[in-house]
Amino acid sequence: MTATEAVARASRRLRWQIAEVREIVIETPRVRSLLLYVAGWQGHLPGQHVDIRLTAEDGYQAQRSYSIASSPESELLTLTVERVMDGEVSPYLVDELRSGDKFELRGPIGRYFVWTVATRGSLYLVASGSGIVPLMAMLRHREFHKAPVPTGLLYSSRSLEDVIYREELDAMARRDPNLHVFHTLTRKQPDGWVGHRGRIDKYMLVGALVPLVSKPNIFVCGATSFVEHVSSVLVQLGHDAFAIKTERFGPTGG
Amino acid sequence: MNDNAPISRGFGSGRRAQTPKDRVPPGQYVTTDFPVLSAGPTPQIKVEDWTFALQLGGSLIGKWSWLEFEALPQTTIATDIHCVTKWSKLDTVWQGVTFDDLLKAAEVGGSTAPFIMAHCDGGYTTNLPIADLVDGKGMIATRYDGLPILPVHGGPARLLVPHLYFWKSAKWVRRLRFMQHDERGFWERLGYHNYGDPWKEQRYDGD
Amino acid sequence: MAENISDLVLDGNAAAGCLHEIFASDITIAQIQCDACSSTRPVGSLRLYAAPMGAVLRCRHCDGVMMRAVNTPYGRWLEMSGTRCLRF
Repeated sequence: MTATEAVARASRRLRWQIAEVREIVIETPRVRSLLLYVAGWQGHLPGQHVDIRLTAEDGYQAQRSYSIASSPESELLTLTVERVMDGEVSPYLVDELRSGDKFELRGPIGRYFVWTVATRGSLYLVASGSGIVPLMAMLRHREFHKAPVPTGLLYSSRSLEDVIYREELDAMARRDPNLHVFHTLTRKQPDGWVGHRGRIDKYMLVGALVPLVSKPNIFVCGATSFVEHVSSVLVQLGHDAFAIKTERFGPTGG
Repeated sequence: MNDNAPISRGFGSGRRAQTPKDRVPPGQYVTTDFPVLSAGPTPQIKVEDWTFALQLGGSLIGKWSWLEFEALPQTTIATDIHCVTKWSKLDTVWQGVTFDDLLKAAEVGGSTAPFIMAHCDGGYTTNLPIADLVDGKGMIATRYDGLPILPVHGGPARLLVPHLYFWKSAKWVRRLRFMQHDERGFWERLGYHNYGDPWKEQRYDGD
Repeated sequence: MAENISDLVLDGNAAAGCLHEIFASDITIAQIQCDACSSTRPVGSLRLYAAPMGAVLRCRHCDGVMMRAVNTPYGRWLEMSGTRCLRF
């Protein structure tokens, strides 16, 4: 039974488990990936998230949800966290957390926003900022299985240094003729930049769809305003609203 | 709280502002921003279309258009507010019409009823005893920090009852309906405490 | 927490954890039918409001409240008068 099969069959109560930080990867100035060991972890599906809970010495607790960045085939569970200014939890996770630290975690949660290589059809992913995280789990899973699924990713970031997983995405795209990655930089573009500029618009969405011949499974992830905008444009372009799955990263991510 | 929860090394230290214990109810932490929580989409109401009413039995004993409401005696208060989700905000300044002045303006001399249900645009409701609105304890607020209340914070007008948890300070309030018998509102019928005193930590039904 | 008006609303799949506590399983892929307008969608695609206090799930088509859920230390509450049916 594969990791994904295990999760698909499980229907059990969520319980809090202990996550131990094994490694911290600096993705961008604001973003860290936390590689976690969770004893007894039952596996997950690409796109799912976890709840984490932190407890201060005086007993105060804070809880947040984070998408799982790692594919189900990875040994360690990866969460990628962006530091939100004045956030309560993310600055702790990004700036304070060290290898060996522990916190509570439960999951995986949410089978709605999920894609696996068993899903038929092409794959269209649209993300802004840390919205790339659950989509990265899907891409890593796709790569692990060398699935020849026609896939497009349109990824919006503020500047080149803010592009999370930049080298990994470039390398994936180089290795795989079926994967097409398009970037847009909204605030600052380096000299000689040939990618898109500015907020995602109809033309960028259409352009990134071109390589996908069949009607795609669409996943959109990012801040609510971004997700609403992209979804409505995709619907205007004629895509079935039911084929568009969205995950809005709201205020609970701070 | 789970007594076995591991302490997250270094979490929370210094993050929450130091405040005198008598200002902050148990279990709350002070915030300097103004978090928003809504049970539905923000109604976009034009003041030209806005009315506010007091309802007793089957009739409206008071009804005001926006201009009429603005012409009522205005009161400004500075107060602390406490949300059941654990944030507290100190020294917030509100302006509006107190419940006492509303009763006076509606010329409600005699007895009304012991309870109120607040009805709001978007369908939200919350219930209160009259005793928690009179004597300056409650108002219909139209200004926050000197400016018209933003729609996302309940504008054009919201109920303000700061001595109770903030879910009782119903946003987008349009009508206060007097009730002989208490009825539970939106959150009160779904597990939240019927009264909601932050100083007694009455968050949930059972507290 | 949100200051930005448009960041208030989430998707139903953000309620998955809260709902999982109530249903003891993930219902975000269940089909849910609105009692007011009869439209049917997965629970995960509904609009989610009020996330810190509880889950208020609204119909994508008519904005009607379809389901409300609250987890309290004294028990879990669920109200579904806006749902005609739920298919797991």
